[in-house]
This record gives sequence, C-alpha cells and structure tokens, in this order.
Amino acid sequence: MKTFFTSSIVRFLARRLLYSLVVLLGVLIVAFSLVHLVPGDPVRIALGTRYSPDAYQTLRAASGLDRPIVEQFFGYVGSALTGDLGVSFRNGDPVTLTLLDRLPATLSLAVVGIVIALLISVPAGIWAALREGRISDAVVRISSQFGVSIPDFWMGLLLIALFASTLGWLPTSGYQALSDNPAGWLRHVILPGLTVGLVAGAIMTRYIRSALLDVASMGYVRTARSKGLPPWVVTLRHIVRNALIPVLTITGIQLATILGGVIVVEVVFAWPGIGRLVYTAVAARDYPLIQGAVLLIAVLFLLVNLVVDVLYAVVDPRIRLS
Amino acid sequence: MRRPKVLVGIGLVIAITLTACSTGERVDLGNESSQNLIAAIAGEPDQLDPHKTSAYFSFEVLENVYDTLVEPDENLEMRPALAESWEVSGDQLTWTFHVRQGVTFHDGSPFSADDVVYSYKRIIDQKLSNADRFRAVTDVTAPDKSTVKITVAQPTPNLLSNIGGFKGTAIVQRKNVESGEIATHPIGTGPFAFRSAKSGDSITLAANKNYWGGPPLISGVTFRFIPEASTALSALQAGEIDWTDSIPTQRVEELKTDDSINLGVTPSNDYWYLALNEARKPWNDVRVRQAIAYGVDRHAIVQATGYGTATVNQLAIPKGGPWYTEYHGYTLDIAKAKSLLHEAGVKDLTIDMMATSQYPETVTAAQIIADNLAALGITVKIRSMDFAAWLDEENAGNFDMLMMGWLGNIDPDDFYYAQQHTGGKSNAQKYSNPDVDGPLDAARAETNRDARAGLYARAATIVADEASYIYLYNPSVIQAWSKSLAGYQARPDRAIRFRTAALN
Repeated sequence: MKTFFTSSIVRFLARRLLYSLVVLLGVLIVAFSLVHLVPGDPVRIALGTRYSPDAYQTLRAASGLDRPIVEQFFGYVGSALTGDLGVSFRNGDPVTLTLLDRLPATLSLAVVGIVIALLISVPAGIWAALREGRISDAVVRISSQFGVSIPDFWMGLLLIALFASTLGWLPTSGYQALSDNPAGWLRHVILPGLTVGLVAGAIMTRYIRSALLDVASMGYVRTARSKGLPPWVVTLRHIVRNALIPVLTITGIQLATILGGVIVVEVVFAWPGIGRLVYTAVAARDYPLIQGAVLLIAVLFLLVNLVVDVLYAVVDPRIRLS
Repeated sequence: MRRPKVLVGIGLVIAITLTACSTGERVDLGNESSQNLIAAIAGEPDQLDPHKTSAYFSFEVLENVYDTLVEPDENLEMRPALAESWEVSGDQLTWTFHVRQGVTFHDGSPFSADDVVYSYKRIIDQKLSNADRFRAVTDVTAPDKSTVKITVAQPTPNLLSNIGGFKGTAIVQRKNVESGEIATHPIGTGPFAFRSAKSGDSITLAANKNYWGGPPLISGVTFRFIPEASTALSALQAGEIDWTDSIPTQRVEELKTDDSINLGVTPSNDYWYLALNEARKPWNDVRVRQAIAYGVDRHAIVQATGYGTATVNQLAIPKGGPWYTEYHGYTLDIAKAKSLLHEAGVKDLTIDMMATSQYPETVTAAQIIADNLAALGITVKIRSMDFAAWLDEENAGNFDMLMMGWLGNIDPDDFYYAQQHTGGKSNAQKYSNPDVDGPLDAARAETNRDARAGLYARAATIVADEASYIYLYNPSVIQAWSKSLAGYQARPDRAIRFRTAALN
C-alpha cells in the first residue's frame, strides 16, 4: 500500500510538472502578445514629454524594439528557458533579480493574510453553521457580508487611522525584511496582513459555513447522530473532516489571489510587493518586467494548486492521485 | 464552550504582541539614525541615471546627489555651483567657465573640467532626451583642468538655464557611466552620496562630508516611496517620516491650521492648458478655439483640481516670476462664445477630449469643461486613458482636444518655443504663425533682457489671443514637513534640496 502511494505520487508530480510547463509556455505566449498589443509605446513613456525624434529612434534601437516582433519573441523565449528573463527597459536591472527582490514581501503578506483569514473564518464558519438560523449565525453572516463589501482600500485606511494614527501601536506603512529584523517585520506586516486577511476571511467564512451545512445535511451525519455519538464528535469527525475539501479549495484560491498581487493594499501600505511592481511596469510598458512578473505569478498559482491537490489526497484517502 | 476560550486566547496573543511594540519606529542606521532625515515621495524612481531618466521621482533623489555647472537659486536666478565663475566673449559666442578646485566625486576621485566635457558630450553625442538643451552648442572643450569652454552658433542668453536648470544635465563620472552602474548606483559630487536601495521601498543617501558647499547638517536622507497620500500624511503625523510631498490636496485647508506640522504652499512655475488639434476641422478656425476659451470656467477648474491652491492664469508664466506678462484676454462669456461659433458657421460640435489617469487633474477638469461647453451646444466626449496610451494618441495627432501641463520650466524659452513655434517638438496642436515664430526665434539670440522679455510678451499674447494653448492655471507646490526639520524651503521649480536641512 505504501509503495503504491509513493509511486503514484511521483507519477502524479511528474505529470503535473509536464502539464505545468505547457501552461507556462501558454502564459508566456499570451503575456508576450498582450503587452505588445496594448496601445502605448515604452520608448515614448521612458523619454517623457520633451524629446527629439533622434532621441526616440536611438532609444528604440538600443532597446531592441525595432526588431521584428517574431524575432523578439523567440529571443525572449529562448533566454527565458535558461532562467534569464531579460532586463528591464527602464533601468536595465535583470528582471529575475527584481522579482526575487520583491518576492519576500509578497510571500509575507500572503502567508500572514491567509493565516489571519483562517483564524477568523474557520471558527466563525463552524460557529455559524452549528447555530444555523440563530442570532449568532446572523451576526457572523452580517459581519462577513461587511467584510466582503468594504473596499480593501477603505479598510486599510481605517486600520491605519485606528492602529497607527490614533493608538500609535503600529507603523502606518512600509516593510522590513524578516531576515533583517523579525520584530520590525511583524510590526509592519500586521496591518496590511489584517486588511488582506479580513477580506479573505470574510469570503472564506461564508464558504466554510455553507460547506459545513451541506455536509451536515448528509445521510451519514444523521446516522451518526442517531447512533448517539456526542455532538462534538459528529461535528469534528463527520462534518468538519468532510467539509475540509471545499475549505482547502477556497483557501488555495484566496492564497493564490493574494500572491498574484493585492495592488490596492500594497499601495495603501507602501508595501513593496509584486502587485505594485506589475502596476508600475504596466504604466511604463516595461515589457520584460511585465512578462517576467506574469510568469512568476503563474508559477505561484501552479504551485498553490499542486499543494492543494496533494492535500486533497492527504485529507481524504478516498481521493487517489491517479 | 471551549472554543470561545481559544478565541480569547488568540486575541490575547495578538494584543500582547501589539502592545509589546514601541511606537514611531524609524529606519535603523546605527548611531547616526537620529540625524537621518526620512522623506516620503509618491513613487519609485525608474532609474538613477540623470541623463536618461525623465521621471520626477528620480530627480527628487538626484537633486541631492548631483551638481550642475550652475544652478537656480530660490528665485530661479542662475548661480555658481561646480563653476565658480564664468565670462561670455564680446561676440556672445564663447562661454568660459572656471570650475571649482578640490571637488571630489563620492568615491574620492577628483572632479575636473574633463568631467564636464564628458557629461555634455554624452548627452549631445548619444542624443539623450536633454540633447535639445544643447542645440545651440557647437563645441565643449577643456583647455585645462579648471576651465570649460562652450562655443555656441548664435548668442544664447538662456545657456545657463539650459545647462543648469535641473539635474538632467548633471555632471556625471565617466567610470560610473562606463561600468553601467550609474542607473542603480550613481556617483556624483553633490551633498549626499547614494548608499543603498530597497526595491519598491526606499533609497538611502549618506551625507557627503567633503561637499564643496560644506558638509550637510544631517547624516543622511532616506527617500521612502509612499504612493497613497493619506498614508504619507498619517506617517508624517505619527512622526515616522520628516517630510513629504504626497499630500491629498483636499486636506490642505485643514492642514494650514495644524500646528503639529509645517505646510509649504508655494506658487510653482508649472502650468496647465487646453490645446485643440489645429490639423483637424473646425479647430483650425481661430474663432472656434476662442469660443472654447470664452466658454471654460477657469475658476471652477482651479477649485475642483486644486481646492483653491492653484492660481488662474491666461498665460504660461506665473505672476511674481521675472518674465511674467499681464494678460486677461478671456472672461467666462457664453454669449460671446456663442456668437463666435455662429460667426464661424459651426454647430452641433462634438469634441473628443483626452484625459489621463496619470494626472488626475485632467480627468477632474475634463468633467467641468464638458459641463461648461454643453452650454455652448458642444458635446465633450472624454477619453480617459493611461499615460502611455495618451502619449501615443497625442503623437499620432488622434484627438480634438487635450489637457496637459508643463513642469519644471525656468527660462521663457522653456515655456513657449517647443510648444508654439511652427514644427516645435512639443507642438502637438500643430499651431503655426510666423508672427509668433519671429519673436520666439529672435528672443533666443537677444541678449538684452528687457528686449528679450518684450519679444516673449509679444509672442505669448498672440498665442493666447489665437488660443493655440488655452492657458488655465499655475498649480502650487505643496509639501509638508515636521516641526523638527529646519533649514528647508519649498521651491517653485519643485527641486527638493536637503543640503541645508537640520533635524532638531
């Protein structure tokens, strides 16, 4: 049994890896075509509003933008396969290094955000489901509705006003690397993490509540109850455990969303994440940087999906990775 | 009832973590950190090569890293910087600059006249975006280590503002350029040296103890990038930063009465305007353009975009500047506007107006203009797009009307030549009038200041009369800084200089 599982997971991973490469190639093609299709000229925006036609031609040639687009594409894919994502149009920085620079901030925000979201949504979702139709259920549902409807921009400003301006407990904005200063990292990540976590938590609470209610209406739960099992055993062993699959799914989706960049939160908290990087890269039509960032986000998405798929099998032995 | 206890426990842990932290934490730079100034700017510099960047965020930093031969003082008069003195030959065709001795770059290497020649030739030969500032220059040489000679094809009274008006013509170091490090690790001769950068977060400069103008009083400057103005203001009020220009305009009134911070509101040399595409009918008809100039409510636009901080102006150069010309050709006059349109024989006009989210004032103003012009029976279709797409459309001449601003002008030539001269490189509206070209050309070579001012006044008045640009207003420079920051003042050219700043 053990060897079957091991070999099946290896085969599963190999297949997924192959599939991921195909997806990434697709992403590359789409990203490349899209950035070139969008109106707006990177040379013009780099030069600003006062420049001579000479300066325009010179920079265009220096950036390689005067070459045929097909040639540009194959050149790009060729070096991308070796891990070289090119250099930024704007400052000549290697794209790979820039992305790696920004990754820790994005990962910090995603991990803290999703942990906060889970801390909120799991207890709240279970609580509401167990008390369906009662006041506490209504309270949870109304607050989660608030969480879903309040724009994260506004939520961030409110949190700054309360915790930074009024109470002075936490800094308004900025980021410190975990490796440089763990305490500083924590102090800076709490407010943006809370903003992201409250929004994701609200969505997840609603999801978890309905997942639990679905399971609770199943026949085997009624059977378990009629066998005279204590309510908490029924809840934990029969309901929660079986509701874990949809919970995992929604957690994965939320995590991937945050990893893909929460631009608004990053702007409000001056957080140096991938989202703002993509935003400024798009504004500047910095093609190599946009393509690199899209590729990185796609990789993160695929990784999260992979982990979620493996966790499915761990949580529910009936699911085999075949 | 176990679960609530768990929740209470989690709440406690969070509360303890929160309260265990001290407030107002600043970037730790060792013992000197108390004298390190933290400034918040609204965005990240695209690159730090002064000859290649066109981004204001870059120049906010570079102003403190680099020097030019001459530089504008707070009244925008050109003063000695790396050049201690200069003379102009009798025929006005040779400028001789005597450069300061004993100046070093931040890496300790000596600065000399050769560096000036290298820097200017780099801009000219590589046709970088500021090459146009050297259009009259025929040669730059260094006869010895302390002399730079610039020869010009014709008398060029604005040469000083061309080579020193802003840090886009800074003196760079050859080694720094050739290694390619200038874009990320610039080396200059200025009051602060580049120290480190954190992508998306901040750039830190350290005081240059050997600065020729005397060592700065502060130990360094950290420029943090805080795009959201409300956050920057909160950070200032919480004491996390010492200075910012990322300020919500709508809160200026309230901040004027806030005793906990200093607010600097200074009229700037920037101006905003409307331009109609004269390559298209009916905008080539001067009467139609004048009708629109009579139809827009400048005061309403100023109120909506600047909350009263901007100043209405019907010409480009602001009041108080040395080149100001009084002009009040237009008033809000619907009847006059209607009769002009009637005279021109046009009706049921639709205007395709471009605005860009990069400059939110254009989007705000466009809505007011649409409302204003509806009274003339003109439908304004607002096209709001991002700046890259906007520039493309402007360049292709694919618009009826646009609103834009020009920033960082010093000499009147900056205000009028490229925008109004026939075929000028910024003449997107395709205006052409020999009566304007004449004085603009003559003023470039006119060395008598009063005569030169007269030429610009003549050209500018025609430009406004014929509504090539419909000038709207001059905005203010708005900055705020903490009570502990002394020796700093907001400047009309938006140059951010911390060389004399002190933290108490």
